[in-house]
Amino acid sequence: MVPLLGRSLILLSLLVAILGAMLAFAAAARRSAGGALWTRRAAYAFAAIMALANGLMVYALLARDFSVGYVAQVGSRAVPAWVAVVSLWSSLEGSILFWGLVLGAYVAAATWNLRKAPADQVSYATGVWLATGAFFAFLLAGPAQPFATVSPVLEDGPGPNPLLQNHLLMIAHPPFLYLGYVGMTIPFGLASAALLTGRLGADFLRPLRLWLMLPWTFLTVAIVLGGWWAYEVLGWGGYWAWDPVENASFLPWLTATAALHSGLLMERKGILKGWTVTLIQASFLLTILGTFMTRSGVFNSVHSFTQSAIGPTLLVFLAVALIWSVVLLATGIDRLGSSREIGAAASRESMFLMNNLLFVLFTFTVLIGTVFPLVVEAVRGVQMSVGRPYFDRMAVPIGVSLLLLLGVGPALPWGRATSEEVRRALLPPAASGLVAGALGLALGVENGWTLLTVAFGGYALHVTLKQLWVPARLRVGSGLGAAAAELLLGSRRRTAGYLVHLGAILIIVSIAVSSTEGRSTEVELAAGESATLGAYTLTFVGAEEVQEPHRVSTIARVAVRHGGRDLGVVEPRMNQYEMQRQPIGTPAVRTGLTEDLYLSVMNVDPAGQRVGLLALVNPMVGWIWVATGIMGLGGVLALVPVRRPQRRPAASPVAAAVPEGMR
Amino acid sequence: MNRRVLWVGLALSVPLVAVLVANLGRDPRAIRSPLIGRAAPAFALPTADGAASVDLTELRGRVVVLNFWATWCIPCFEEHEVLARGAEQFADRAQFLGVVYQDEVEKVHRYLERFGQSYPSLLDEGGQTAIAYGVGGVPETYFISPDGVIVEKYEGALTSRALSALVESAARHGAGS
Amino acid sequence: MSAALLALALLAVPAGGNLGPPQGAPLAGEELERETHRVSALLRCPVCQGLSVADSPVDLARDMRSQVRELLSEGYSEEQIVEYFESAYGEFVRLEPKLTGVNWLVWLAPLAGLLAGAGVVAWALRRGGAPPAARPAGPDDALPADEHLASYVLKARELAYGWPGGARPSEPAGAGTEA
Repeated sequence: MVPLLGRSLILLSLLVAILGAMLAFAAAARRSAGGALWTRRAAYAFAAIMALANGLMVYALLARDFSVGYVAQVGSRAVPAWVAVVSLWSSLEGSILFWGLVLGAYVAAATWNLRKAPADQVSYATGVWLATGAFFAFLLAGPAQPFATVSPVLEDGPGPNPLLQNHLLMIAHPPFLYLGYVGMTIPFGLASAALLTGRLGADFLRPLRLWLMLPWTFLTVAIVLGGWWAYEVLGWGGYWAWDPVENASFLPWLTATAALHSGLLMERKGILKGWTVTLIQASFLLTILGTFMTRSGVFNSVHSFTQSAIGPTLLVFLAVALIWSVVLLATGIDRLGSSREIGAAASRESMFLMNNLLFVLFTFTVLIGTVFPLVVEAVRGVQMSVGRPYFDRMAVPIGVSLLLLLGVGPALPWGRATSEEVRRALLPPAASGLVAGALGLALGVENGWTLLTVAFGGYALHVTLKQLWVPARLRVGSGLGAAAAELLLGSRRRTAGYLVHLGAILIIVSIAVSSTEGRSTEVELAAGESATLGAYTLTFVGAEEVQEPHRVSTIARVAVRHGGRDLGVVEPRMNQYEMQRQPIGTPAVRTGLTEDLYLSVMNVDPAGQRVGLLALVNPMVGWIWVATGIMGLGGVLALVPVRRPQRRPAASPVAAAVPEGMR
Repeated sequence: MNRRVLWVGLALSVPLVAVLVANLGRDPRAIRSPLIGRAAPAFALPTADGAASVDLTELRGRVVVLNFWATWCIPCFEEHEVLARGAEQFADRAQFLGVVYQDEVEKVHRYLERFGQSYPSLLDEGGQTAIAYGVGGVPETYFISPDGVIVEKYEGALTSRALSALVESAARHGAGS
Repeated sequence: MSAALLALALLAVPAGGNLGPPQGAPLAGEELERETHRVSALLRCPVCQGLSVADSPVDLARDMRSQVRELLSEGYSEEQIVEYFESAYGEFVRLEPKLTGVNWLVWLAPLAGLLAGAGVVAWALRRGGAPPAARPAGPDDALPADEHLASYVLKARELAYGWPGGARPSEPAGAGTEA
């Protein structure tokens, strides 16, 4: 019953999406108000049907209904309820179904949010959204059916991949990732609408920015959550390996960040409209490419799902979306009406251009590196790898340049500035940079690039904090409350932006320090034996086996002392799951203020009481997670709607005194 | 119609899609061995019972079937019979050798006691020989010609037909063919 | 256990059997460990999905690390060691692309991208940087009549433009920031 119901819902969603898309394009072309109304209804209907289908699947997973194909694949009676729910996105078919849910939710939300916006543009956008929805519904109806009927029905299933059951972060990372990834469809639709109608006016710019900012915020958090999960679960002590699937999530983030910055210029000065729209299209296209990379089985990666028929289908959709985007850009870009003037070489505007240059270069480099093994295979017939050493080598100069830009950019004034003004803007923070560099040296930083990063970080921090404080300083005479109000209410976008910058500075510096200034050792210990790592003394207390419902865990208990202080006992484990031959380790991570102590079990013998341990000291890793929180907070703050958006500039005397382009 | 945008867009999109299409259906995890057609790496390893040491260079003039296996490997168990019969069948022309991969000596002894061995199994402590041969898993079988060249690498459990064909092919190599 | 390993290792052919003579200096102690980690990080674990030999916990990677350590202690250079593993496992095992044939593209493309992008930015700035009419000092610098507001305006200009006291400084002749 459930499989049949599920398949019917999927087919219904496909029907609604196709008809809705056709209706939407017709309504937009004819500027029909009635058509626009029914388009909105189709959008809501699509969302509702997808929600129902997902609800049905979650019910089937919880009820362990093994007559449903997907449940037979990933369900299990042995796993706890939260794992059963989370299995929804643990494997291919379920993840596409989840994609449909998130897409439906976004489309419904955007439709509702834009119900007062120009109807023809919104209808075009809805058409694009529903067309994308139709594609994913088609996948669910054809190559990736979650609701296939299984016969004969088995008593139990294998459960999801054990690696996905190891940590609570499994609950958070995929939903955030989908909210980021799938969300890029919305600005893509809006950008397509702008190109189709040839209009990108003030009334459309704000929605475009907002609907780019929302998925961007989710994607930022999602990427770092993925790194955090890899760090806590996989046991090799790192958080980013430039794996193709990691790159797949990173690429659209890079172009979206570039689009947010050029979008700011677009909103303020009416320039770079075509370029921003191109970046938005690219972000969506990169999510489709990313999905292809993850699911087609063509890329050799930690995460890849197995090969299936979904690969060629996704490739066809990618090709169609590429043609759509290129043709739309070629025909519509000149009608958007961008102003031509950009600005002088040493101005805030040119810094935005530098920002875009670096981000697009980064995107290009990561894309080339990821796809290159395929190129070589096709040309030379040889299998080769482009791995971490290559990407690190490319990413470091770009990252350090971006950090410098985070300092120099906001420091420079808008428009043409005299060399006197430039000097006055750029020199004072250099003192902070030097102090930071000296501090780094004093704390034992040895790597040249890292030292440079720390110095630039100090510079950028000075500039960012100063800029963050500017609106509040104007009100500080009226008390701290008024200052805070000015920051959070009056100048919210500005505050949010600089908060995100603050987080970004912290992340870049933390990544640099944690990647280069750590130490590691690999030792074999018998019970009672100790090893040292820096100031830490690790004593192997003993190993014991623990039987759990779905796995046998061997826990290696290690006593930790730092300097003279006793820090307690950590318990890294080696887990043997029923269905897997190779055991999978769970590392023990002790996160401190300045560094992490990371212990991973390489091999353990409970009978002989011996253990092979990998011990790492990773400095500043905890700061990466904190910094991401700051960035996420900034993103959320930017999204809170501003009341009376049209009249606000006159309401604040501060804002009135400072000409529009100079804020 | 902005021609420049069109051409740039196509210049970026078409090669990308072309590369992806060209790679569809290929399994990225299947790695082809670079050793085929090259000289077999030399080794001198002790037998499992510790009685003797086998040096590859002393086996010139005969085909060598080098089978990497382990007690924990199910397909190895499945091909055990095939290899045993093959060793008998080709005793005049070929020397069959087993090399233990990532295993424990006691388990190997128990296994061989239980299931017997028609040819020597060698212990590769430290896995250096496995690395020299580019072994990534078990079972993997290398067919070495009488003049010491690796003719073929077979991954997975052998069938008698494949075994015969590969032994013949190795025997023919360099011998005036 | 380690004694037996040593004995067996002596029976086996020296680790770099078909490598030729070592081209570097033998390493020991802390430096050996560091170099082992560094060279292992350049090699791909053949049975993992993308992890380096330095990072992978599987048995094969552990054996490969031991072999790297042994080769380094005998004085083999990084290139010799990487080539040794490449001869066994193929070019696939190098995490950093070798400089042959079409591989050059992956190193040159980002550089080409940087130059092209910088060119585009320079062109865009040149076009937009046509000197505008000299900034009129009059209307822009007017202060509101209200004193309280005026003080805000002056303070805002000081903070936003860096003008001391909120008053526009006189422009030095010929000063410009045009590239």
